[in-house]
Amino acid sequence: MTRSSVLLEKRDAIARIVLNRPAMGNAIDSALAHELRDACRDVVEDDDVTVAVITGAGQSFCQGSAGFSGLTPGVIAERQVACAIADIPKPTIAAMNGDALGQGLELALACDLRVAAEGARLGLTQILEGTMPWDGGTQRLPRAVPRGIALEMILTGKTIDAREALAIGLVTRVAAPGELDATVGELAAKLAASAPIAGRYAKEAIHQGMDLPLSHALRLEADLAVLLHTSSDRSEGIRAFLEKRTPRFKGG
Amino acid sequence: MSAFETILFESKDGVALVTLNRPKVLNAYNVQMRDDLYEALGLIDADDEIRVVVFRGAGDRAFCAGADLTEFGTAPSQAIARQVRFERDVWGRLLGLRQPVIAAVHGYCLGSGMEIALACDLRIASADARFGLPETSLGMIPAAGGTQTLPRIVGPSWALDAQLTGRTIDAREALRIGLVNRIVDQGGPFDEAARLAAHLASRDPAAVRTAKEAVVRGLDTTLDRGLDIERRLALRMALRSAEN
Repeated sequence: MTRSSVLLEKRDAIARIVLNRPAMGNAIDSALAHELRDACRDVVEDDDVTVAVITGAGQSFCQGSAGFSGLTPGVIAERQVACAIADIPKPTIAAMNGDALGQGLELALACDLRVAAEGARLGLTQILEGTMPWDGGTQRLPRAVPRGIALEMILTGKTIDAREALAIGLVTRVAAPGELDATVGELAAKLAASAPIAGRYAKEAIHQGMDLPLSHALRLEADLAVLLHTSSDRSEGIRAFLEKRTPRFKGG
Repeated sequence: MSAFETILFESKDGVALVTLNRPKVLNAYNVQMRDDLYEALGLIDADDEIRVVVFRGAGDRAFCAGADLTEFGTAPSQAIARQVRFERDVWGRLLGLRQPVIAAVHGYCLGSGMEIALACDLRIASADARFGLPETSLGMIPAAGGTQTLPRIVGPSWALDAQLTGRTIDAREALRIGLVNRIVDQGGPFDEAARLAAHLASRDPAAVRTAKEAVVRGLDTTLDRGLDIERRLALRMALRSAEN
């Protein structure tokens, strides 16, 4: 199957998923959504991949949903894709090379880490078109930033720039013009240098634990930590630390 | 004043002071410190005279640089490690204290050390404080509550960034993202923490404990139930005032 709307590139342990309809601002239609879900599945199943980066070709990250005549159950079923990203058990990074609007920002919200290029605009703009966010935005934005700010963004549809996004914690890094690839590459390499299982368990502990009462969440953390005692990478990590050298993780 | 091997524990004027006291190894958390803390926290919990608790690290260089991996790296078996974690639940005890707990953080505050600070209610840091959870780069995950306490304090975005990269967070950034409440620019953070502790200790202890209870329990459930908890606690306070 040829992927045209979405490119999937792999180098070392890092997969890059590129939204690739630059002439359309990488707007999401059902074909793109379908290919993006396929790319996510590929990343899940490929044991050699330990980190995934999602970015856009051209000037935009993703301008949102491509035009449709009316929001119907069919449109939602065909185009919802954020859960496929959130379900990747490996650490994921949204590299917002340009605007991330509407459903475009919803994709980024499904990633673990968000980096924006200076000049990018971010917003859940659906209200301006008479609809509302329907790919996780009403749930993930208020979990990522303070509730009052999330409500303002969703109810007014306003967009913010990369600096404001950093100030409210919607992104954790901003890259100067032309430096996004370097910033994200360094970040991805750092994640890829961790023990893969530890990275996955840390991600699981945070995401699942935040949905639990604290006492249950602490048990989940303890259980995952003890389960990690069975991994050879943990023994190697401790040995390397005591011997003051860089660990060589094998993913086991 | 009571004698522990790895911590200093003193209690005066309603303020308990716990000093992590292994300065030669940057106050690294080891099995003995776990047992000492477990016991000291039990004393604090049972003592109604203690109104506020302050944690700090001995020496110039660190609050606590993390767990002593020569000890925690080698558990007899996974089943026993898990059993001990729940039987000597020092983190549950710290998070469950009724009194407000203040961490006065200077220097390195890494791994388990950062998790101790995260289990406190308020964090005051000196300008030289350095925070970080480097566990995943060693093939581990934080196991003293850090995967849960950090996102509840700074939100999941910053928590994921810090934990998945294992990077170091300096005092300025810690203040900006809400990881610490205050930075003390000149000197150590302890004097400021002691002032705040004395202030809290001067307040009605029942009001202080009840306010903490309402926030902690309320944030751990739905808003409806949280409001119900607040209502019941406020009613209890009102009845108590009427009796006096």
